[in-house]
Parts: sequence; structure tokens; C-alpha cells
Amino acid sequence: MDILNKLKILTGAAKYDVSCSSSGVSRNNQGGTGNTKSFGICHTWSADGRCISLLKLLLSNDCIYDCRYCVNRRSNDIPRASFSARELADLTMQFYRRNYIEGLFLSAAVEKSPDYTMEKIVRVLRLLREEYEFQGYIHVKVIPGADPSLIYQAGLLCDRMSVNIEQPTEKSLRMLAPQKSLPVLYSSMQQLRDKIREHKADRRRFRHTPSFVPAGQSTQMIIGASPDSDLAILHTTQALYQNFGLKRVYFSAYVPVNQDSYLPAITTAPPLLREHRLYQSDWLLRFYHFKAEEIVDEKHAQLETELDPKTAWALRHPEFFPLEVNRASYEELLRVPGIGPKSAGRIVRQRRVAAVSTEQMKKLGVVFKRAQYFVTCKGVYPGDRPFDPAAIRRVMLPESPIKQMSLF
Amino acid sequence: MEYLYDGSFDGLLTCIHHHYYREAADGIYQLQYYHPTLMVNSMAVMTDLLLAKRVYRAIEKKISPEALENIYHVYLSSSSDKENLILNYLRLGFKIGSQVDLHLTHPHVYPIHKLDRKVSLEVHRLLGLLRFKDTGRFLYAVMSPDHHILVLIADHFADRLAGERWIIHDQKRKLAIVYDGQYDNNQKSALQHKWYLTDFAGQVDDSITREEEHWQQLWQLYFEQISIQSRYNPRLQSQFVPRRYRRHLVEFQS
Repeated sequence: MDILNKLKILTGAAKYDVSCSSSGVSRNNQGGTGNTKSFGICHTWSADGRCISLLKLLLSNDCIYDCRYCVNRRSNDIPRASFSARELADLTMQFYRRNYIEGLFLSAAVEKSPDYTMEKIVRVLRLLREEYEFQGYIHVKVIPGADPSLIYQAGLLCDRMSVNIEQPTEKSLRMLAPQKSLPVLYSSMQQLRDKIREHKADRRRFRHTPSFVPAGQSTQMIIGASPDSDLAILHTTQALYQNFGLKRVYFSAYVPVNQDSYLPAITTAPPLLREHRLYQSDWLLRFYHFKAEEIVDEKHAQLETELDPKTAWALRHPEFFPLEVNRASYEELLRVPGIGPKSAGRIVRQRRVAAVSTEQMKKLGVVFKRAQYFVTCKGVYPGDRPFDPAAIRRVMLPESPIKQMSLF
Repeated sequence: MEYLYDGSFDGLLTCIHHHYYREAADGIYQLQYYHPTLMVNSMAVMTDLLLAKRVYRAIEKKISPEALENIYHVYLSSSSDKENLILNYLRLGFKIGSQVDLHLTHPHVYPIHKLDRKVSLEVHRLLGLLRFKDTGRFLYAVMSPDHHILVLIADHFADRLAGERWIIHDQKRKLAIVYDGQYDNNQKSALQHKWYLTDFAGQVDDSITREEEHWQQLWQLYFEQISIQSRYNPRLQSQFVPRRYRRHLVEFQS
């Protein structure tokens, strides 16, 4: 099979993996090709609006597993292909020097056994890092169940690793991916966490300690393939950040690729809005000092689709508002809909020399349309209607159809 | 007095010097684009590297290194009024020092920060949205950015592609960065490698080799395959890759 066809098959097989970030580690070129930037660089955006930063490929799509949600499941009758280590390394280098990509995202179907596959991945990494002296970004997927020593070897050669947990609960995972189990996945995450800590601590004392997964680990969950609630998803997400120190938890709206009685019908549209709301909640967890319990609880187990989670929280907590922007702490400012880490930072900075007035809010990057109902500036409430959660909710809803008043 | 400078950063700084040590400036303009009027005196300023250096140091010390970076970015922007924005900002800066950047909504500070953000955004964008092709002798990339960002992206590529020879061509401004790719093992960091900015009015032969065509084809195929049909969203794509950048991107040519 020629390289064109292989690329076609193995890109198509990899595209449902979400992670594409190339951030988290800065490294100058030490005499080969490539470097990395902590802020990450996107190189282009595909027709679905997703960024392309890394060359995202499967080493092979020949899988022994039969996960119900996956295109590459064993029982699917699709063309199978594998790259040789050299083909993949050449592709990476040639794309990289033309500045098409920031690096490689390497994943693989479980071919023969987890160890066999992980070993193949390590061979590609060796070739790229040692023979080709490639110093760009590499993200490697951990093959669940692979031997810890192989995972460790890969971690010494790449920048980021990820173990996909796929489903937020053991029950759903069992149902959809019978050969996988959360405890096995968690033990790989734990191994990565411990080794990352160990190498970081050693590097502080000994300069020549090699770095291990310097950009940290991430994971991914499929949204909408199982009946799990947003409550379950966000609690799992928070636990992953707390317990394993993950850099990111990605969500992927399930795109039906298989006909299966356990799954949504093949005609179901991917739940993109739900995915969007989950990402907004994820941002609240990571950058806005929110706890999962504040975003969803037993009474509100699903996120509202019509309002973003922060506005929804604010409307449930009228006692917190309106907030005087010239006195509120940075953390309090972050709770205001329409104010983010950047605008909150600007407000705090300007306050040191001059009080912030209503007219200046927009210049500071605040989305005033939303923020106006939740703040006062120098004691003045700028909202165009009184602070009443029900009334504010009505104006915040997307294009709420204006009901004509009935005469009778 | 209206001061006219030659378009160089040092020229601009020389004007700032004159504003303080000769006669207060009513405005600073680029000589090339200046339309004289009867009412105001104007003077063409000879760029003086020594005076420029003194102003440069003064900004760094008496205001802040960030302020210096801000005005350099604004100088590289394509704003037609940038010289006077810089003049106003510096006048305020020399009065109140490093705190100038805290006055985020001040009419003399706000436009500077806004332009600085625009330039920085385009620098960041072009680190990704730049495509090289292998001509067989060197790598060649062409772009037409809104702002004069060539000098701001050069270090990045000099480090990344330290072992290659390459040219990045700004078609709009007819300038290019040339990096000769002489890899010197004695130097530790590639950042110390030399690149230089040069006039570049000529055309580079557009024909590509068979091999180059092969890789371009693979990239186009990848670009097409990685997109998920049921998430098709060209509006979102346009937010990230504005149309004006697309003509230099291989993956948008079909």
C-alpha cells in the first residue's frame, strides 16, 4: 500500500481523538531540528473549526479490541493499514520543516497485544528523537494495559502522554469497552503522576536528570455515548485534576460511527452544545476557582443548555451580587458573568492607580452585556433593569421569542 | 514643530530626543508620507544613533522594559498615526514612570496596548500560519501580514530550523529575512545564529520539484481527512484562519 492510502486510512482513524495542544513545555533547539513553546502553536484549522497543531496519526488501525463506540473495532469491516517507523518519522520531519505542524500526536490501535503496540510506539520515538534529532513536540497515547517499563521508556522520549478514560464511570466503560477497565487506566495515570513528580524533584537537584513527560498528562472522555449525567462527568473530571494532576481533560461529543444497540442511533447528531457547556465548566474548574459541586448538584444534574454555567450559577446565587468592582477581590471578580481572568486582572491593575468607572469596563475587556447586571462601579449599578434573577434570566436567554401579550 | 523621520526606529527615537532637548513636537511623521501645510513648521530629522540609544536607555530605565517593547511593537504596526500615539504615551511615561501601564483606560495608554495586542496576535498567528516549500536549495516561505512582523518571528525560526537555509519573504513590504543555515557547533544556542533583514523585490521561481509536490499533496490529504463531517463549521474556521491569510497556505489551495 502506498503512503497516500496509508495516510488516508490512518488519519481517518485518528481524527476522533480530541487533544491537539502543543503547550506546556519550552525547549530550545540543542543542535537538531525543532523546539517547543510553552504556549503552544496552532498551525491551521480544518473545516470543522478544530485546530491542527500536531500530526495526529495512528501507527496502525488493526485492533484486537472491540469497543462499541470506536471506528476501528475488530468487528468492523474496514481497510486496515500500518505505518513503518521510518515512514512515520519521515512524514513528521518533512511536515515539520515546512512548518505544517508543531509535532506528532501518536496513537495506535491495540495490535496483537498492548505490549507489542507500545513497543512499536517506543521504536518510532527512538528513531525520531535519536536518529533524526527531532526536538519538536510529541504527544503519545498510552496503550491501556501496556507494561509500566514500556510506558516509562516512552515517557522519557515524549512531551505529553495521555491515557483515555473514555467514560466517566466504570459501569459505562464496561458496557461500551468490555476489554477496558477504569482501575487499569487509573494505575497508568498514577504511574505517570508519580514518575513526573519524581523526575521534577530530581531535576531540581541534579541538572542532568532526563525530563519525563515534561508537558504533563491529559485524558479524554466521550460525551453522549452512555447515559451518564453532567454531574458524573464533572465530578470525575474534578477528581482527575485533583488526584492525578492532569493538565487537561478533553471531552469529545460522540459521533455515531457504529450501529449498535448499546449506542445512540447512527443518525444522532453529535451533542456539540453539551460538549461546549462541559468545556465551559472545565474552564471554571481550572481558571475560575470553581468547584464541581457549585456547577452541578443532585438538583441540577445536567448543565443548562441555554445559559453558560457561570451565568447559571450567578442566577442561582443572587445573594453574591451586585459586586462593587473597585472593592471585590480577584477571585470574586472571576465569579461575575462577563469577566474572565484577563479582564479581572486588568481591573485589579487599574484599581491601583484609578477607580474603575462604568464607561471603562468595556475598554478593560469586560463583556458588558452580561456583566452589567452583576456589578456596581463606584457605587453605581449600570444594569438596564433592576437586579432580579428572573428578569435577568429572561434577557440573557438566547433570542428568547417575544411573546405577544394576549388581549383576553 | 513637526518632526519628520526616515521611517526607522532609531529615527523615531531621535525625534523623541529633539522633542525634549530642542523644541516640543506637535507631531512626528514619516518623511515619505508627509504633506506639508503652511501653518506648521516642520523639520526633517537626521537619524542620530547616539541620541536614539540614549532615548532607548531612558525608556528602559525611567519607564520600564515593557514600555519599550510596547512602543517597538506599535512602531512595527501599520497604524497611520503610530508616531503620535508613541509620543503621547512616552510623554506620560516620562512623567509617571513604570506605573504608566497601570492606567489601562487612559487615552494615551489604551491605544498603545491595543496595537501591541494586535501585533502580538499576528506574530503568534504567523508562527503557525507560515508555510515553507523546499526549493531544493533552501526553504522559502512567503507571507503578506498586516503588520511588519518579520523581525519578530525571525528568532523563532532561526532556532527551530537552525540546520536549514531559509528565506521568509514579506511580499507586501518587499522585505525578507535570510538565514544562511551555517550550523556552528561551537555555539550552544541557535538563537545566536545570524539572520538578516534585506530588501527583496524580486520574485522567487514558483515552480516546485516533484518531491515538494509529493509532500504538499500529502499535507492537503491530511488536512482534508482530519476534519469530521458531522462537525462541519466553516464560520468557526474563518475566525481562526481569516481569508486574507489563506492564499499563502498550501492546504487552502486545491
